[in-house]
Amino acid sequence: MIELKNDHLIFRFPEVHKDAECRISFQRTLRIPDDNRAYSLPPGLGDFPLNLVDDYASGVPNAWNAHGGVFLPMYQAEAMWLSFSGSYPMAVKVAAGKINAVTGEGWENELSREPQDYVVIPDQPWLDGFSVMKGMIRQFVAMPLGEGYTAEEQLTGEAEHGGLQIVVFPIKPSYYEREEEAFMPIAYAPLRAFSEPVEEMGLAPGGLMRQEIYEDEYSFEAWETSVRSRCYVHIVNSVQFFSVTGAHPPSKPPTAMEYTAAGLPWFDYYGGDLKALAGAEKLAGLDSVAVKKLKKGKGVLADNEAVEPKVVKRLGKGNVREGEF
Amino acid sequence: MTFGKYIRTVREKIFKEDRSYSVRQVAQRIGVEPSYLSKIERDQVAPPSEATITRLAQELGEDSDLLLAMAGKVSSDLRDIILQRPQLFAELLRKLRDAPDHAIHSVAREIRDGDW
Repeated sequence: MIELKNDHLIFRFPEVHKDAECRISFQRTLRIPDDNRAYSLPPGLGDFPLNLVDDYASGVPNAWNAHGGVFLPMYQAEAMWLSFSGSYPMAVKVAAGKINAVTGEGWENELSREPQDYVVIPDQPWLDGFSVMKGMIRQFVAMPLGEGYTAEEQLTGEAEHGGLQIVVFPIKPSYYEREEEAFMPIAYAPLRAFSEPVEEMGLAPGGLMRQEIYEDEYSFEAWETSVRSRCYVHIVNSVQFFSVTGAHPPSKPPTAMEYTAAGLPWFDYYGGDLKALAGAEKLAGLDSVAVKKLKKGKGVLADNEAVEPKVVKRLGKGNVREGEF
Repeated sequence: MTFGKYIRTVREKIFKEDRSYSVRQVAQRIGVEPSYLSKIERDQVAPPSEATITRLAQELGEDSDLLLAMAGKVSSDLRDIILQRPQLFAELLRKLRDAPDHAIHSVAREIRDGDW
């Protein structure tokens, strides 16, 4: 069962364990420069607003009604990261345009261990992008579907799905209860008619960022694979968000240059003894947004100047990663 | 359990793992005096404002609606929602008063998984 509360997705598995609950939110952030230099983690600038597809059934594309789930607004070339919280261990698979963000493979509902195609909560607090090599990701950046930028289009040649797809599996109660002590707790608007077709967005690989995707420390048998909850997260261009929902989207985030010039912090995360996955060769071969734009003869990506973060805070387990812009 | 005692229990549990969860540092991060937070935890003063409770909930990883309820308050956004359509929501809430949790969850904001 998935509930939407305060712009967070709350996954619960009461049939497995009373504590089997985790939250996933989608954080607004600045887009890091896409210049092949590796950057620290950018801040969280607040949650993207989430809306139920079912609340706007007459205003969204038919495919969205078939998929169910939620939708959120993003500006073109805006970045996001996923925030995970909860003390009950969960395996979470994340795909963009039905391309797995950890392996680069096409969507499968089931978990895979070889290669590991999921992250483990609570060890993995955030996911900022596509895993391209060990300790390195390329940032999730929203681009319109159909222009060839998204990971989905680069790998499949099709602009079919867009958005994000998530499936969550809880750990078996016996594994949780054994280690329980070791874990730390860490508007409904009226329907609006609109005339233009909704511009759907997908996620493309952006700038390089230092982030490790951690290896699953449990045995594969630990996961309760007989139950799962899935959620399709559609992305609508922020410009059209008002015409669908009657609500204004969040304002544009600051550029990396503006944020850094203000002396505000970037972040590094230290995951202790956890081992990092190698990264996906398929994803490593993708063109970033800036490169793709050049190849398409569309000039250079705007607001893409290199920055030198002056303040980099080192975070450990349980710390909050928030900007103050 | 009282509001203050609950806050203290949760904070001290986190403090065992993370020394930045002392009364002084938590108070600093949520923008109140340490002595005030200490009094809140010992139930020597009334629970703080909605804004402070919300910041406290974020800091401690707790549900703000739950903490507000423990403090005998309802969040202002919920109050506004009810005041916009008072009869409709009064009727809805009375109907749901005795409903089991799972039924309320499904009315609340259950997300449908479709075909994909």
